[in-house]
Amino acid sequence: MKNGAVIEQQRSKPVKQKKIRDIHHLPPIWNALSHVLIGLFSFSCVYPFLFVVVLSFTDEQTLAQNGYSIFPEKWSLEAYSYIFQTGDQLLRSYGVTIFITVVGTLVSIALVSLYAYAISRSYFHFRGFFSFIAFFTMLFGGGLVPSYIVTTQVLHLKDTIWALILPMSMGAFSILIMRTFFKTTVPDAVIESGKIDGASEFRVFFSLVLPVSLPGLATIGLFSALGYWNDWFNALLYIDNARLLPLQSLLMKVETNIQFILQNSTISNSTERSAIARSLPAETTRMAMVVLATAPIVFAYPFFQRYFVQGLTVGSVKE
Amino acid sequence: MAGLERWLKLVSRNKALLLMVLPGTVWFFFFSYLPMPGAIIAFKDYKFSRDGFLASIIQSEWLGFKNFEFLFKTEDAYIIVRNTLLYNSIFIILGTTLAVTVAIVIHEIANKKMAKIYQTGMFLPHFLSYVIVSYFVFSFLSVDKGVLNQLLQYFGAEPVYWYSETKYWPYILTIVNLWKGVGYGSVVYLAAIVGIDKSYFEAAMIDGASKWQQIRKITIPMIMPIIMIMFILAVGGIFRADFGLFYQVPRDTGALYPVTNVIDTFVYRGLKVTGNIGMSTAAGLYQAVVGLVLVLATNFIIRKINKEQALF
Amino acid sequence: MKRKSMLIVLSFVLSAVLVLAGCGSNKENNETGETPAAGANNQQAEKGEPVNLVWYTIGGAQKDLDKVVEEANKYLLEKINTTIEIKLIDWGDYNQKMQVIAASGEPFDIAFTSSWAFNYVEGARKGYFYELDELLEQHGQGIKEVLNPAFLEGSKIDGRNYAIPTNKELPAQAVWRFNKELLDKYNLNAADATTLESLEPMLKVIKENEPDMYPIQVNIGPFLPYDFALEGIPVGVSLNDSELKMVNVWDTPEAKQTFETMRKYYQAGYLPPDVATKQGNEHELAGKWFVDKQHTVPFADNLWSNSLQYPVVSTPMHEPMVFNWSVTGSMQAISAQSKYPEQAMQFLNLLNTDAYLRNLMNNGIEGVHYNKLSEGVYEPIPDSGYGMAAFTLGNMFLLDKLKEDPADKWEQYKVFNNNSVNAPLLGFQFDPSSVMTEIANVKNAVDEFGPALNTGSVDPAEILPKAVEKLKAQGIEKIIAEAQKQLGEWRAANNK
Repeated sequence: MKNGAVIEQQRSKPVKQKKIRDIHHLPPIWNALSHVLIGLFSFSCVYPFLFVVVLSFTDEQTLAQNGYSIFPEKWSLEAYSYIFQTGDQLLRSYGVTIFITVVGTLVSIALVSLYAYAISRSYFHFRGFFSFIAFFTMLFGGGLVPSYIVTTQVLHLKDTIWALILPMSMGAFSILIMRTFFKTTVPDAVIESGKIDGASEFRVFFSLVLPVSLPGLATIGLFSALGYWNDWFNALLYIDNARLLPLQSLLMKVETNIQFILQNSTISNSTERSAIARSLPAETTRMAMVVLATAPIVFAYPFFQRYFVQGLTVGSVKE
Repeated sequence: MAGLERWLKLVSRNKALLLMVLPGTVWFFFFSYLPMPGAIIAFKDYKFSRDGFLASIIQSEWLGFKNFEFLFKTEDAYIIVRNTLLYNSIFIILGTTLAVTVAIVIHEIANKKMAKIYQTGMFLPHFLSYVIVSYFVFSFLSVDKGVLNQLLQYFGAEPVYWYSETKYWPYILTIVNLWKGVGYGSVVYLAAIVGIDKSYFEAAMIDGASKWQQIRKITIPMIMPIIMIMFILAVGGIFRADFGLFYQVPRDTGALYPVTNVIDTFVYRGLKVTGNIGMSTAAGLYQAVVGLVLVLATNFIIRKINKEQALF
Repeated sequence: MKRKSMLIVLSFVLSAVLVLAGCGSNKENNETGETPAAGANNQQAEKGEPVNLVWYTIGGAQKDLDKVVEEANKYLLEKINTTIEIKLIDWGDYNQKMQVIAASGEPFDIAFTSSWAFNYVEGARKGYFYELDELLEQHGQGIKEVLNPAFLEGSKIDGRNYAIPTNKELPAQAVWRFNKELLDKYNLNAADATTLESLEPMLKVIKENEPDMYPIQVNIGPFLPYDFALEGIPVGVSLNDSELKMVNVWDTPEAKQTFETMRKYYQAGYLPPDVATKQGNEHELAGKWFVDKQHTVPFADNLWSNSLQYPVVSTPMHEPMVFNWSVTGSMQAISAQSKYPEQAMQFLNLLNTDAYLRNLMNNGIEGVHYNKLSEGVYEPIPDSGYGMAAFTLGNMFLLDKLKEDPADKWEQYKVFNNNSVNAPLLGFQFDPSSVMTEIANVKNAVDEFGPALNTGSVDPAEILPKAVEKLKAQGIEKIIAEAQKQLGEWRAANNK
């Protein structure tokens, strides 16, 4: 570790008598410029989303006549009342999605951080091997059908909630990011000092390493949570039972059905096509579904965010 | 015998750490390595037999590299490789630069409340599927009703047929990709910056370093390892294109194929009729092998420069 | 270190093979253990233990599916000592999901298959489906009686049947479909439309009087008088060619003329400028269109008018013609993996011959999902939680009619079916396995140029030669040669 010695040196200095609050002050002009640029970019990101919200409250006929407009002539709650009318599927899917997101993220953080910590330690003899084992899976896979067979015929997960959780609970990507976080924020020297005090590897990990790695954990936790929240493909493959369908798969079903009709416009008989078309919700309803599927995770976002925007007191490393 | 003993000793010395990687290794075994031999389908004419999948693979005829042929045979082969590589290179370079910049700026903005709001805003596009994004791009670029053409006409310019002019699309796709990915990408770097020990900055301030100097001398070097790892990982995926971006956003418009057809869309279109799993597996293998070669090369170079920052 | 890692990874993969092999061989043992006993099993099943059939079929989610299946099972237990378990997969998901399920060898008994979702010909060729000739003889006599023989004849692959077609409209007939409100408003006559060219005067009137509307809103994929060897690839024979010569359809005078006409229409502003990019069907909802191309069935005009909620009328472009893809438009196949093929066939036979069962599966439970108005006439209860798409499950002619339906609805279907002619390639199923590479490449070229040419968005004088050139470069000649060869063999074998 290149910086290890430097950090040690820093640490031994008793700098932290009081918190210096404003180390982040940019010169005022730069600060203003940053606000403008980042603000504009941020707005361009929010705007379409705002549009989706407006569209979901637009009257269906108005939308068909006038196209997209941020100030529709006629507002309507029709889309939402339609969705809530269709019964308890939506609520049930909320339940499924929340469950797999929470459980999946916790499992994922546990698996990833343990694995990543071990391979981040330079004194771990097998770290090259285990790094490679993880990394190799990023590039090579057996393809869809073999994975399907393992999940359904070897592990027998078909039509269980675990089919939505386990296939996504690890990932070389998170492991390698986390490994770097551990390497840079927790030098071997700190661990060694902990060990000299007689703490076991696990104790060091839980009481010394994890607390200072919160930004990293929040990051991979966020990625994992988003992955679970947005996942529909595992549901498409493994779930036949409507009681286990997550939220995104409801949304994706509508989108794939629309694509399906567009693509098959020359193939299937029009009677068949109109049967499918009739089963599709209107565009405003689709937008309402996007809103309903996205809003909860957007509101959950600040929970993760505080770990990597506000900053932490990193002091605990020193004791 | 002595080797075994030595090895056992090593295992026992590392047993705590080995125990830590155990659950993950089991996971990798089942979800990654167990399906891996299935990739052999890429070299077979897969026909189903009543004895199950494995028997089907074994009984299917060997084809050699015939399943790979469609990826190399025509002039499209060059176009899709070129498009995939160029776009991904641009995305990696610009995406990384922007994400790091955004992360630093967000971190430096004094008003933490605003910083949080900006950051949340930037994250939103990640939640919109490319199908929805394509609606918006279309509402901008539609010839007769699009916002952009209405603006052009307002200023007396001729309307542009966006969906038949290839020259605009490299920019459009790049902008859409960055717009959708920068907020998400900056999270990793934000976390890395937050993880930097504050005492560095404190010391630098005491020494009278300007903000610029702090960023250049402390922030960037400290997050370099994570930038490098993200870079290597991205290079590994350089041969895989984002299907939604290249298929949904241009609305599968034929006239744009010269600049929008990438390996993934080409394979999708080509196999739509026949649904051949041998050929789709072959395409995946092709992408993986090229990715592996490029990663090893990148890793080799990075290793030469700074051993600590290499992947392995 | 790296080489060693590679080595260990390799051994990892190897052990994975072993585990997989272990699982596989276990399964094989199980199955070989069961196959000889299957006959005995079946007999036993007929007497004692009821058999449960897993049935994958296509359609939007139905809230009350379980209730209806429960009701059906009561009946089925009594009739054939069998129960069913329906796995209803949504329209857009079905194809992908079934391809994975079938390729993985996951056990199921019956599955929906067709020319447009979970492709029938391909599935049969890959060995997913049970060969039905014998079973039909033994347990499918009812099906053979009710089904127009052209269905089973036309869906044969190398002389064998692999799925039971749904009894419905047999031929396909392309029509020009008009928005009747506009026809009436400008005093136009739908019957004037015959060819694509004949539309011109009408389009002109509409464009002049409704300047902010495009009379043709989407890529209508103009009608080309060819029978195609493979969906989506422009290789086929002319409908009027008794010699059955395979040609590159884009390289024919008819295609050229069609593209030129569309170009004229496009330039005249009859189509939206962006028409070659994929569009939704919002214009239908708003009634902002004048004409498009559809395929018809008896009383289709009523059906369309009902679902659009404004009147439409249509004029046929050609006589009803039986194509391979129209015969295989909706079928139910038995899995090659099924342990109970006989029971599955018995069930399909009952489904296609028993009016009570067929109506129950389609419309749900009387009083809960629909009300019976009189014998053979029903009225669905809105939002009741059940109502399947009629064409997917089986014999449509057993279904009760809606009160708006004409009394002779199914008789008219039969007339429609009997008054059709056979397309030249009916019964010939092209086997593309030796030209897969070329097909994948040609398909990319077709998608690149097809929509632009079909909608007139590009000048065919300039682009068509380029497109034909590209098709050649991608190997279309090889596909044509292979198709011609197979066609010759087929003709020799079938005396056509």
